[in-house]
Amino acid sequence: MFKKILIANRGEIAVRIMRTCREMGIETVAVYSEADADAAHVLEADEAVLLGESEPLKSYLNSDRIIDAAEKVNAEAIHPGYGFLAENPDFAAHCETSGITFIGPSSRVIRDLGNKTVARTMMEKAGVPVIPGMLEATKDASSLCEEAERMGYPVLVKAASGGGGKGMRVVSGKEEMEAACLSAMSEAEKAFGDGSLYLEKCLESPRHIEFQILVDQHSNAVHLYERECSIQRRHQKIIEETPSPVMTPSLREAMGKAALSAALSSGYTNAGTVEFLLDLSGRFFFLEVNTRLQVEHPVTEMTTGVDIVRKQLEIAAGNPLTLKQEDIIQTGHAIECRIYAEDPEANFFPSPGTILVHREPSGPGVRNDCGVYEGFEVPMEYDPILSKLIVAAGTRDAARMRMIRALENYVILGISTTIPFLINVIKAPEFAKGDTYTDFIGRHFENWSQNMEGADLARIAYVVDELTTVKRPLAATKDKGWQTPWETLGEWRI
Amino acid sequence: MKYRLKISEETAELDVSGSAGRQNAEFTIGEKTYSVRYRAIPDHCLHMVVDGKRVSVFVADGGQGKYVFLNGKSFLVRDADRLPLRRARRGGPDQTPGDVTPPMPSVVVRIMVEEGDLVKKGQGLIVVTAMKMETTLVAPSDGRVKKINTSIEAKVAPGDILVEVEEEEQENE
Repeated sequence: MFKKILIANRGEIAVRIMRTCREMGIETVAVYSEADADAAHVLEADEAVLLGESEPLKSYLNSDRIIDAAEKVNAEAIHPGYGFLAENPDFAAHCETSGITFIGPSSRVIRDLGNKTVARTMMEKAGVPVIPGMLEATKDASSLCEEAERMGYPVLVKAASGGGGKGMRVVSGKEEMEAACLSAMSEAEKAFGDGSLYLEKCLESPRHIEFQILVDQHSNAVHLYERECSIQRRHQKIIEETPSPVMTPSLREAMGKAALSAALSSGYTNAGTVEFLLDLSGRFFFLEVNTRLQVEHPVTEMTTGVDIVRKQLEIAAGNPLTLKQEDIIQTGHAIECRIYAEDPEANFFPSPGTILVHREPSGPGVRNDCGVYEGFEVPMEYDPILSKLIVAAGTRDAARMRMIRALENYVILGISTTIPFLINVIKAPEFAKGDTYTDFIGRHFENWSQNMEGADLARIAYVVDELTTVKRPLAATKDKGWQTPWETLGEWRI
Repeated sequence: MKYRLKISEETAELDVSGSAGRQNAEFTIGEKTYSVRYRAIPDHCLHMVVDGKRVSVFVADGGQGKYVFLNGKSFLVRDADRLPLRRARRGGPDQTPGDVTPPMPSVVVRIMVEEGDLVKKGQGLIVVTAMKMETTLVAPSDGRVKKINTSIEAKVAPGDILVEVEEEEQENE
């Protein structure tokens, strides 16, 4: 096993990886940018190396500086976390040529699976169902129209070199098709310098269901069941759970098998996630493989008892998987909510700033993977995730009620967070019924705003705070240090 | 004692009577009167019994008001009488109709107009970015760009007036 590893990431995921390292007796090295000198992951690590300025390209996305840091401190391996360089084949290759173990699959696998049409072709060969569509892109609008006719509307027009929704159009009928192709083409040309498009069948109200897989370097492969991540905003997941409310034993077996053949046919090693869309009729289609640790991995850990980061390190060190598929038993139900520094009333615009108060929820079945603390200034340069709140309980309903309780106990003041919005979503009758589709937020929570119930109490609290603050002279407090409750309780009687 | 307290755009008058020393008081907001016992639990927590119902809230003083946390909800409560004068200038309590200010602390990435330009309502003026997301600030009304108070890569915050747009003369206020 490794003696020392470098974690090429920041925030909650870096902290989470370091915790497992500590339990395994592995030394940890944090890297950080100037904005992150006092960040939680820097405080958590055994050693920390400054990469450079706050811009990601000069720090967390700078492959040269990260490799230099690893060489300087003699780290044997690099864990990339998620985001930043985690799915960058050049970075993985850079590790390989520098003799540093990249904790993840090989650079070749990352490259193959990162290319949409290569991955689709690979999956078709392996017998994994893919969303019906074209395997080759074109710039000819009339052949796109013919193809759409053959496939049947609605269709999804996608840019071959696309990303982030640019050059993407949902077309519901023939009459809109040509105009949509032309505008998508010019958008893609402008954004990516490549206007070629391809088509995919557009599924109506699909669910997003993914399988966690583990593959060692000796071709042993298991899956750790599914996660459903249909609740998304801006094509990004915000609530994830396992098991999926619609999963049946036979569907699980079929999807699990497909996930493993997807992994084995591509030469996959380490932990990964095979994503599928499930349509209303119960058919599933390959979406993509995420060649890294997922944000939502804790729900799987909470229901299987497997520490996925530990498995990643063991696999990367060359150890064989000792887990057999039949050893992996899923019990109960787990839900994760992503807590972002965003204002849900202002179209989820990021809300950086200083956290004035931070009280984490606790209690049975509650886990909070957190990358911030009270007094920390959330920088505006990076992804606005603050923490991930995960709960587990015996049933979906019990987990739901536990999540509501935990969210209501999660105090973050000074910046806007998604907490009040998440409470409303989890409480929604559609969520309770398990009617979760990828268009859930748009359909039920468009233009959400916090209701004003409690506003009177908030105003009263404002004044009470004024009254109680005036009572504490600042100088006296300073002399005595912290005041005990007996000093501030006054004439309170029970 | 009277307060005028504002949450989002809603201002309500609150009248408090009773003895602060005794840690109980009556609060009247509109038609409703609440009888409240309270004590401060250091730090930031207030335990209150409101008409017999117990509740714990958390309060933190931010620069522009107090943040109040209550059962998973968070309110920014501001004293309407203490809001900065600049914000209370002509036109409205928060900002003048022609002023463009970012919704969150952010960095300016693009300025798409120049002083003196004629702009239409909804036209993009400035693009700011925070945490990997870009947002375009648009003209609040038809008019002429009177002044640009920022530059590319400047760090800006809500309340900073980045662009002033003056409505054209033909329509009197």
